[in-house]
Amino acid sequence: MKFSARLQSASLRAAAAAVILLAGSAIPATAQQLRIATSYKLMTLDPHFSTLNENTSLLSHIFERLVYQDEKLNLQPGLATSWTRVSDTRWEFKLRQNVRFHDGSAFTADDVVYTIERIRSFLKPPSGGFQAYTKAIASVSAPDPATVVIETEGSQPTLPLSLSAIFIMHRGSEGFATTEALNAATSLVGTGPYRFKAWRSGETLELTRNDDYWGGRPSWSEVTFRIVESPAARVAALATGDVDIADFIPARDVETVRQRGAKVESVPAARLNFLQFELGKETAPGVTDKSGKAIANPFRDARVRKALSMAVDRSVIVDKILSGYGTAAAQFFPNGLAGTSSNLTPQPARYDEAKALLADAGFPDGFKVVLNGPAGRYPGDGETLQAVAQSWARIGVAVQPVGVSFSVFNTKRGAGEYGVWYGGCSGEAVDVCLEAVLKTPDAATGAGALNYGQYSNSAYDGMLEKARATDAGPARDKALAEVTDFVMRDEPIIPLYHFHHIFGYGPHVAAYVMHPRGWTTAMQATPAAN
Amino acid sequence: MALFKVISGRLYQAFLLLVVMSLIGFVGIHSVGNPVYNIVNIETATPDDIRRATELLGLDQPLWRQYLVFVQNLATGSFGTSYIYHLPAFELVLSKLSATIELAAFAILIAAAAGTGLGLLAGTRPGTLVDRMVVIVTVYALSVPSFWLSMMLVLFGAVMTGWFPSGGRGSTVDLFGWEWSFLTADGLKHLVLPVLALAIPNIALIARLARAGTVEVQRADFVRFCLAKGLSDRHILFRHTLPNISLPIVTIVGLQFGGMLAFAMVVESIFAWPGVGKLLIDSIQLLDRPVVMATLTFVAITFVALNAIVDLLYAVLDPRVRISA
Repeated sequence: MKFSARLQSASLRAAAAAVILLAGSAIPATAQQLRIATSYKLMTLDPHFSTLNENTSLLSHIFERLVYQDEKLNLQPGLATSWTRVSDTRWEFKLRQNVRFHDGSAFTADDVVYTIERIRSFLKPPSGGFQAYTKAIASVSAPDPATVVIETEGSQPTLPLSLSAIFIMHRGSEGFATTEALNAATSLVGTGPYRFKAWRSGETLELTRNDDYWGGRPSWSEVTFRIVESPAARVAALATGDVDIADFIPARDVETVRQRGAKVESVPAARLNFLQFELGKETAPGVTDKSGKAIANPFRDARVRKALSMAVDRSVIVDKILSGYGTAAAQFFPNGLAGTSSNLTPQPARYDEAKALLADAGFPDGFKVVLNGPAGRYPGDGETLQAVAQSWARIGVAVQPVGVSFSVFNTKRGAGEYGVWYGGCSGEAVDVCLEAVLKTPDAATGAGALNYGQYSNSAYDGMLEKARATDAGPARDKALAEVTDFVMRDEPIIPLYHFHHIFGYGPHVAAYVMHPRGWTTAMQATPAAN
Repeated sequence: MALFKVISGRLYQAFLLLVVMSLIGFVGIHSVGNPVYNIVNIETATPDDIRRATELLGLDQPLWRQYLVFVQNLATGSFGTSYIYHLPAFELVLSKLSATIELAAFAILIAAAAGTGLGLLAGTRPGTLVDRMVVIVTVYALSVPSFWLSMMLVLFGAVMTGWFPSGGRGSTVDLFGWEWSFLTADGLKHLVLPVLALAIPNIALIARLARAGTVEVQRADFVRFCLAKGLSDRHILFRHTLPNISLPIVTIVGLQFGGMLAFAMVVESIFAWPGVGKLLIDSIQLLDRPVVMATLTFVAITFVALNAIVDLLYAVLDPRVRISA
């Protein structure tokens, strides 16, 4: 009797299990599939090939970083759960336990060592962009599987930030993985929330859910990225419901997208577009007096730069050209992000004051300039050149706006053919731009990489170095804000605007969390309840 | 012997064409700008990164030396590696070929059939309402720019009615190692709009050619003799008129088909159709020289081959060509 009761309960249990199984197998019928139209073309499957968002945004589904940068640009634990600076030049990272790669092998400190070695010693240009992030690392070791110790060259208070750019790969059995092997997608294993399924260069990337993900089951069962470079085609795909999310929607199409029932999210980008001057040379190319005769470089006078900055009507650019999807700028990152100064706020155009200042500087009749810029690279770039030309005409500065393709622009800017031009800077933190755009260029340290105008201010250089040596935290942010205050008084550049990233999503998506770095990922999207 | 002469002449022409084209392509891309700026992140790269990348790609060499290296590589059958995708350039072009072939083939089949039909219809009834309609509509269809036509097709066929998807290839089936859309219902739906966008201007072009030819041939003596002999209109139209007007049509079909294989970039871009034309225009924008050169070479070879086929068809269609040869 006892035996049969046990048998009975066992069969009941089996039946119950079968029912649960059946119910479980019914779920995939309503599986959450996500289709995204993206402008990011994903050039290669090698996560260390290029630091461009084009590559990293999509690959962040498959690969993960030790440290993750959240939408306020603050650092959050990724594959590392904590990190401490043991001494001035020594960092210790504690790794997350029970993390598995997609091939089932465990994630250990050795994989981190492998990743850093691959970037430092294996990859050759043009795939060397990531070396900027490992340059400060003197050695890396794994005392135990859960700990990584990194020795740095000198004090490196922002090492975790640098590591927030680097995708961790798995150490395979056959030495370093080549870019070709990764592109063949035979061994594409990361720890990320989605597994690689298929890739066609310039066409699609298909992903499936990683059910063993350490952070819990990811929301979407299948994710398909369609690479659609034409903005109009992305808008059409979203409007017709062919895709659930479309990234980088032109501001003028926002209304269309809304009318078709899609929702729109936007965020000011962690970047700046600005005007930059030739300051190193005695004469600036393209700058003459009104009759076309050569004159001494007027931009070397800070009063001229200030007058030109005062005479830019940023509200026209933001409201008319960017249809409200832009923020007038007075510094590198939008106010409120870490390291920005609350003292700097964009001012309305003051033409009379500007004209008086220009007269003070010895240019009562103004002068003539060629204003150069890329056309079609950044939202509103070509039109902005026109708007600036109109604004400056009001203080007597005659502007000939010239927009060219981005690669031509870069070639000519690099060759020093421009007197004043429209540039852009972005980075994982505001000090990246402070260093690249305004620090005195130095080939050895890589400082001033975007300082094509040779702006040089030794007091600023010293302050910036000190601020960058400060440990991450409020003290560092404050120091960076003060440095910004100090340098912007000298008007080394004319900040124009922070454009907004604009994304649209359809009814299958309940919410999409925008990231100021402009990332497009399935992790930022929440599925709508059925 | 005569055949050998013809073939060797053709090959020589093709060779000259390839040399000239590669030179123009090479110099053209070079003068546009430096591709390194599309590969490294210009907003974070140091001048040193840029310099090393430039050296590795060989872009620091003088242009003539870069060209020599290109020709040397070509002799070993390699177009080099795409700067952007890091894949062998010619393989990249071949991988986009199936998408383009199915698009162009459908478009040209529809254009040839519909265009010839409309042209015959109008040409046999000159001056009637049907004829005037065909003439007027074809003028419009020919003058409309390709991108506008494509946008309108997206607007009506996809956004407003929702009948067809707005872009992409849909699901594909693997056959002979290539992906094909036309073998699945979903893929066929994706094909409709881009095929129409490519076919409509060509329908108009072929219809006008066919109409003009028909009007001329209908007046010819042999048609009158046929009529006098008592042959039916239908018989005259298809057995005598059609072969006589077909030479220019075949020429145009060949040329336009080649054009679609290579230069359907506007339509392919708007419909996000991952074909050769889109690859070419994307590569030009990114200054991906190996891919541009591989695509252009492919295009040149295609055109030479198509022209040869058209010449052969002349002989099949027109007995006089056979006699003179």
